[in-house]
Amino acid sequence: MPELRKDPILGRWIIIAKERSKRPTDFVIDDARTKGGFCPLCPGNEKTTPGEVLVYGREPGMPPNSSSWKLRVVPNKYPALVIEGELDKQAEGLYDRMNGIGAHEVVIESPNHNDRFSDLPHEQMILTFRAFRDRIRDLAKDSRFRYVMVFKNHGRAAGASLEHSHSQLVALPILPRMVTSELDGSLKYFRYKDRCVFCDIIHQEIQQNVRLVCENSLFVTLAPFAPRSPFEMWIMPRRHSSSYVAIDEETLAGLTDIFSESLRRLDACIPNVPYNFVLHTQPLGSELLEHYHWHFEIVPKLTSIAGFEWGSGFYINPMPPEEACRYLREVEL
Amino acid sequence: MDKKRILLVDDEDGIQLLYREEFEDEGFAVDSAYNGEEALEKFRERQPDLVILDINMPGMNGIEVLRQMKEINPDLPVILSSAYQEYKQDFGTWASEEYIVKSANLDELKAAVHKYLDD
Repeated sequence: MPELRKDPILGRWIIIAKERSKRPTDFVIDDARTKGGFCPLCPGNEKTTPGEVLVYGREPGMPPNSSSWKLRVVPNKYPALVIEGELDKQAEGLYDRMNGIGAHEVVIESPNHNDRFSDLPHEQMILTFRAFRDRIRDLAKDSRFRYVMVFKNHGRAAGASLEHSHSQLVALPILPRMVTSELDGSLKYFRYKDRCVFCDIIHQEIQQNVRLVCENSLFVTLAPFAPRSPFEMWIMPRRHSSSYVAIDEETLAGLTDIFSESLRRLDACIPNVPYNFVLHTQPLGSELLEHYHWHFEIVPKLTSIAGFEWGSGFYINPMPPEEACRYLREVEL
Repeated sequence: MDKKRILLVDDEDGIQLLYREEFEDEGFAVDSAYNGEEALEKFRERQPDLVILDINMPGMNGIEVLRQMKEINPDLPVILSSAYQEYKQDFGTWASEEYIVKSANLDELKAAVHKYLDD
């Protein structure tokens, strides 16, 4: 029989359609890729990108936007929101509007065109997580922004338009609804129990050990109780912290290790699986929060969103997380 | 003096006729291609000085064609010309010098062509 499950933070229901259950090999991956050619993100082609706002690994003495680098962050050439201007908030009757002010940046995660993020060596992958921290810190200085959304699209089906490994940051003048829902849900839990719901989830998952994919001394990766997608994973710091930008170098190293292992486990279960990952962290300018806990959510793109999902807000997931977790844990790396 | 050559890639006859007339009047030689494969063939044969490239075409789309052309000659100016803004989300478009949304008014397109072809 199918099962309805409720996310304890958002109150969002999902359907675990056990009768539709699949093995990892049953998922069909559409590996449609753009057929190579010139890549604007590759070294030597820096003139095709806007000037970098952050670079790591440039050889001393080399000029900005030259071709020696290990990671670059550049503004999006065609941004979803623009940096110049004022918000000019207005009402139109009962409706609200403002100018589309924001920052839209692209993190070029490696100089090597064919590197996959999951296969990056530790010293290269850590640069991406450091860049997220450093760019959020910098964008936080702009008082127009309330939140920086950090995300990666991997694979065409997950929205990646170019095979060269990259992720994106979008600084927003408003809080996304997903963030406010998480903040509200976790605050409600905190007021009732005087504990962080995320910390409680971590403790319970370690104790039960049925949805715990992998762990190290600083982080856990778990298959959430009510996942939207098969093989969804959350990566959470063991120690309570609401702010990603507070992360230190030791914690960045621990994050890199567990992220790499989690993605390699996912890829070993379903080779070339498209996925998105999103950083969830506290709003800019906020005091540290007792009730909120930063984390990453990795959502493989294995199911489609259709009428029922749009209408109900429910997701139908054919893979119970306990089963997904078993595959992820047992797969050989 | 030889005229500067423009390779015009678009699957619509109306656009081909209009742009050809306008750019020939501006003093350029215009070659036409109606799909990506033909565009790459003429790109190699005619060695244009500039390419005006539609995106939404049958077969190879313009972004794939752009990346192939730039692989051969990264310095050749290519102007993407599309009826849609949405392709700007594709980072492959960054390889082009310009992305111009099609309009009945060709001033923006003409200005871009002159920017890259005038000595």
